[in-house]
Amino acid sequence: MVTHNKPLTLVLKYLLALVLIIFAVVPFLWIISTSFNQAKSLLGARLIPEHLTLGNYSELLTSQTLNFSLWMWNSFKISTISVFLIVAITVISSYALSRFRFKGKRAIMLIIMILNVFPGILAMIALYSLMQQIGGYVPWLGLNTHGGLIAIYVSGAMSINVLMVKGYIDTIPIDLDESAMIEGATSWQAFWKIVFPVIRPIVITIAILAFMATYGDFIIANLLLKGNDQITVMVGIFQFTQQRFDTNWGIVTAGTVIAAIPVAVLFFFTQKQILSGIISGAVKE
Amino acid sequence: METQTKTIFSSQNMGKLLGAAALTFLGAFAVYHLLHDGLLPLAGMISAIVIFLVLILVKKSLTPYRWLAVGLVMAFLFTVFPILYTVFLSFTNMSSGHLVTKPQAVERILAQTYKPDHVPTYSWEAYQNTSGEWLLLVFDQDNKAFDVRPGSDLKPIEVPGDPPAAIDGYKLLDPVQKIQKLQALTEVEFGHGSNLITIQDPMTAAAVVPQYQYDEAQNTMTDKSTGLLYTNKGGTYTSSAGDVLIPGYMVGIGTNNYSRFLGNTGYLAPIGEIIIWNIGFSLFSVLISFAIGMAIAQLFENVPGSRLIRALLIIPYPIPVLVSIMIWRGLLNENMGLVTNLLQHIFGSAPHFFTDISWARFAIILINVYLSYPYFFVLATGALKSVPRDIYEAAEIDGASAWMSFRAITLPMVMRILMPLLIASFSFNFNNFTLIWGFNAGLPAMADTVVPMGHTDLMISFIYRLGFSTASAADYGFSAAITVVLFLLVGLMVFFQVRNAKSLKESR
Repeated sequence: MVTHNKPLTLVLKYLLALVLIIFAVVPFLWIISTSFNQAKSLLGARLIPEHLTLGNYSELLTSQTLNFSLWMWNSFKISTISVFLIVAITVISSYALSRFRFKGKRAIMLIIMILNVFPGILAMIALYSLMQQIGGYVPWLGLNTHGGLIAIYVSGAMSINVLMVKGYIDTIPIDLDESAMIEGATSWQAFWKIVFPVIRPIVITIAILAFMATYGDFIIANLLLKGNDQITVMVGIFQFTQQRFDTNWGIVTAGTVIAAIPVAVLFFFTQKQILSGIISGAVKE
Repeated sequence: METQTKTIFSSQNMGKLLGAAALTFLGAFAVYHLLHDGLLPLAGMISAIVIFLVLILVKKSLTPYRWLAVGLVMAFLFTVFPILYTVFLSFTNMSSGHLVTKPQAVERILAQTYKPDHVPTYSWEAYQNTSGEWLLLVFDQDNKAFDVRPGSDLKPIEVPGDPPAAIDGYKLLDPVQKIQKLQALTEVEFGHGSNLITIQDPMTAAAVVPQYQYDEAQNTMTDKSTGLLYTNKGGTYTSSAGDVLIPGYMVGIGTNNYSRFLGNTGYLAPIGEIIIWNIGFSLFSVLISFAIGMAIAQLFENVPGSRLIRALLIIPYPIPVLVSIMIWRGLLNENMGLVTNLLQHIFGSAPHFFTDISWARFAIILINVYLSYPYFFVLATGALKSVPRDIYEAAEIDGASAWMSFRAITLPMVMRILMPLLIASFSFNFNNFTLIWGFNAGLPAMADTVVPMGHTDLMISFIYRLGFSTASAADYGFSAAITVVLFLLVGLMVFFQVRNAKSLKESR
């Protein structure tokens, strides 16, 4: 805007900013401070703790009954494998949808767009039953398996990512791959050697967003995983708080802080990329 | 020079044909097993996938589909199929006690055994190998020893004196282990075919026989130990005295699941309340979050310190949603939360964010605004950048105030860009299970409902509770029927979304 701020407007703006910042930041500060608070229960939780301690963290990580480090490992493993598969499948599919002419392409685009807006999780009763049936034949793909969870993540992430990447490839001049193919390159070589290097920014963006989404997922992981050593950290935190929310608040907060760190750090270092990815996806549509 | 025409015997074609043959064989194998177990819908889906894969392998015009094969197959199996399968399930009685298909139920019932009178009994010693498999050493009345394992016949074995400490890598259980593992051991069937031995007690093992006889034509089971006849009643083999065999199986029940709630005010009234709250919740969440996001993007653009303000306001964005919900659960805790304590301190009383219906709803929308305004802030920032600057200058020359040019220029342009995302966000929040389940699981509960429902339930958390709550019996068929109704509601939003999408029209 080109308007100038009058002093009164400026004061009002800062006042509003202050209110919003308190809203945004206090929960964040509070959880960090209580995680270092010696008082273990919610009753003793204060914004400024009286005695600082690392006790909550050490108790969380050394507990015999909680498998916290295993949950973290599960989350990392599942998200990392999912991201690799999501990227590979998305990029290859998007290239074909952008570059090739073939029968049924419009129908496929329509299906992808419908799947993109239709919340597939509504079908969770049937999904649960399907995974149970598949598990009867292919044990590593069934209920309570990481294989099954990854399969659902990968197929669920398809539509939105294909739309983003296909849109991006559409903006790259087709002459680029065509001239390579005139010189004898196959479509695969044209894709891998010419187009893939150009679309690297969007690939990194969808990889980061997919990592954040799978790592933070609660609904599908909670539906599928049951065993204490199978669950992800999000399901673990949820189950833990179901049992002893008030009295073990200190450990709960330590767990939530550790669980939040990986994506927070990832976001911090890739902020520009993520935000511009979201914006370009939104504004183009 | 070679000619351009390739014969059918070229190595490339041979490879394709071999691949297609292998796929067909594997697919037929899988479909055979699925049909054998009565899983018709899944068998249909797998058949379709195999046919698709074979076609794209052999038909040259379908080559581009090879690039899409993995993605399409996964999307169809794990996303499209469950949607269709929900519709299928809504016409069945699938529920606790009816979770398996008929062939599966028959197989499980026929696997049950009993010990008739006058059968050989044995004394026994158990052995276990490192992978947990069992071996049983049994001695008959004449003290002759046999080695018997699950799935293989009785094998005579020479045992002079005490039982050996190990056989073929299986280790003998000592008396303490024997007692500890007795429970697991009694569930193992040793032997093969009709020659089965099970452990009866710490001293004896005995030959057992299948307990039930199946009459396929009549669809009845006969208990051979009592002679009692069990006939099929709605997917459960039931005797005339009302005893039932477990498990029962899934049968089609027509539109019963639908009539159970569609003609029933006991369901319709509370479901109506849920739907109204569900719509209000999504609408207010989206509107308030969008308004705040827009305000941040617009108001703090050119004030001193705007970078810092924006950096602080984006903080909630990267925190995993469930973590934020847990934090708010602590902040709003009725007895000890920071916010409740503070309000208590200032006003002398604090709202009950968990037990009071209106305050619980308020809290949920508040948390959702916390979770989603940063996203809209990012989007609005991007959308604002695409509004041409010179329009504002022209408006200013014409004497428009800042508010007027915002109303007349900025808002309509931003709305037009962001409308699809607002609808998408509405439809996402309409099914925001994580928030409800993480915060209060739909509580406080409604009074006197037929099935447990809560005042802050969304349709999706209600369906989840119907299907998976541990407190009551799971009722998949019924929750599938309610899901189908929800499909129709959400389908309406999807329709508007897709119809407006430009990218489809532009697709080459």
